[in-house]
Amino acid sequence: MSIPRAPQGHFTLLYFAAATSFTRKQYDFFPAPVKVAQLYDMLETKYSGIKAKVLDSSALTVNLDYVDVGEEAGKGEAGMLIHDGDEVAIIPPVSSG
Amino acid sequence: MDIDGTTTDLHVSRLRAQVIATEAQLRSLKEQLVAAEQHAEAARHLNDAYLGGMPAEWIGEALSRPAGRRWPLEDEEYKRYGRQLIVPEVGLHGQLRLKNAKVLVIGVGGLGCPAAAYLAGAGVGTLGLVDADDVELSNLHRQIAHSTERIGTSKVDSALEYLQALNPLVNYIRHPFALIAERALQTICAYDLVLDCTDHPTSRYLVSDACVIAQKPLVSASALKTEGQLIVLNNPPRPPGDASGGPCYRCVFPTPPPAESVLSCGEGGILGPVVGVMGVLQALEAVKLLTAKPKPQANFVNLTTDFGDTESTKPSLLMFSAYSMPQFRSVRMRPRRKDCAVCSAQPTISAQSLTSGSLDYIAFCGVTTPVNLLPPALRMTASDFSQLPRDGSNVLIDVRDETQYAICALRGSINVPWTGNADSWLEQGVLRGALAQDGRDRYIICRLGNDSQLAAKAVIDRMSDQLAFATVKDIKNGFRAWRAEVDPSWPDY
Repeated sequence: MSIPRAPQGHFTLLYFAAATSFTRKQYDFFPAPVKVAQLYDMLETKYSGIKAKVLDSSALTVNLDYVDVGEEAGKGEAGMLIHDGDEVAIIPPVSSG
Repeated sequence: MDIDGTTTDLHVSRLRAQVIATEAQLRSLKEQLVAAEQHAEAARHLNDAYLGGMPAEWIGEALSRPAGRRWPLEDEEYKRYGRQLIVPEVGLHGQLRLKNAKVLVIGVGGLGCPAAAYLAGAGVGTLGLVDADDVELSNLHRQIAHSTERIGTSKVDSALEYLQALNPLVNYIRHPFALIAERALQTICAYDLVLDCTDHPTSRYLVSDACVIAQKPLVSASALKTEGQLIVLNNPPRPPGDASGGPCYRCVFPTPPPAESVLSCGEGGILGPVVGVMGVLQALEAVKLLTAKPKPQANFVNLTTDFGDTESTKPSLLMFSAYSMPQFRSVRMRPRRKDCAVCSAQPTISAQSLTSGSLDYIAFCGVTTPVNLLPPALRMTASDFSQLPRDGSNVLIDVRDETQYAICALRGSINVPWTGNADSWLEQGVLRGALAQDGRDRYIICRLGNDSQLAAKAVIDRMSDQLAFATVKDIKNGFRAWRAEVDPSWPDY
């Protein structure tokens, strides 16, 4: 399936692998802007337990660029913002093969 | 006069003969000259080709032909590899590099079978195969090097038979054991490039750590259900602490996923072509790495630009989702982490910690213990359950997902898939009439007997005070036990 464009003032959050299994979704739209450092708490509110089970071990990308969430958490006000129209992805490691 | 006349005639005929002979000689000399000129021209072209078409670094490789042979490859090799030999990205130098390369394939399953097949086909000189497992029937839909008649034989030997038949020119090395920390370095050091075709986080971290320490590039792929991931790690393979080296697995995924959330292909399922695509892509990346042309040293190239900064070696994670659009997404990765446990300047993982076995990868990734939530009194064996009256006094709740329920289910059972969340499951259970307040006994079953306990516990903890269920029990070891104890014809999927 293809993902529709996010509504005005929103960004797209894509889920892969274990994130899809946990949320039972391929994507969500959230209002922008949001600080990268606040994204995981926001998701934990919507999907209780997702932080420990999925997010803490996942990679995060914004517009196809890897973002270090730990580093962002330490930046405070200078931290990176997710903007209107951005494509953010939760990429849990897939280990089987 | 007669004598003179005779002498003159003789002289004339001698001269004629001499002219004819000299003309013939001249013709022959001219022919020789043309041939010599052509030969010289050909030699000059060949030399130009070596010098002009091929950087000086490759000439040694291309001319390193066996003594007494005119061409660097064997007759058969020109024919066998001809179709890739004429692709400019490979060419003669690329084929020679493949022939000189030693590649280690760790795991000969869904990824390793296609990866090894394409590498053997391409003429990699030495191919090592690591796997401790035996071939099983449930492997065959995706592990294309194995066969029905080789079920029960070791995967390494089974793949070896397939690969030998495919290309007997390759030197195959058997490693029919699991890669453990103590001997990982020793095994990997003998190779130029490693493919991680394993199936668990413990081996993913171990293989990556060993490749960083041994300074080998690593092509890592994985697949589950309908998705796959591919990344070339530690490329270029600079020593730990050298920031220009490529990131390792820990740089991308520093924290392992919780052990209970890790699904195997047996638990989560896998589509054959999905894992096949990932294995083929691994072979492709390996061929690209092995045949890579040295960077041109021309003046217009900024010599301070590091090899590791060029676009072609910028690390990226390729994600494949068979049922999404687009199917492929390439994500740009970051360089090595400054605080990486293995490839940074302050590594906590070293050759010593690997070979001494002091690193516990199993503990690092966490251990799953079988779920054991319910006291024995609240668990029923499959055979006891089969003796219960079918008079409507009890309800069987099957918590497998819809797909598995549709494969096989017991008549009269109600399907309420366990989703990992007690609240939403209880809500679904009420909605589907499985948890109505009717006083009937509840039995809960799943595939193996883990989720059934979680669901039973949810009912006992949150509903038993409101609802008068006489009994809420789970069926111990689920349908696996049902098949073993009650119904041998139950589908063994």
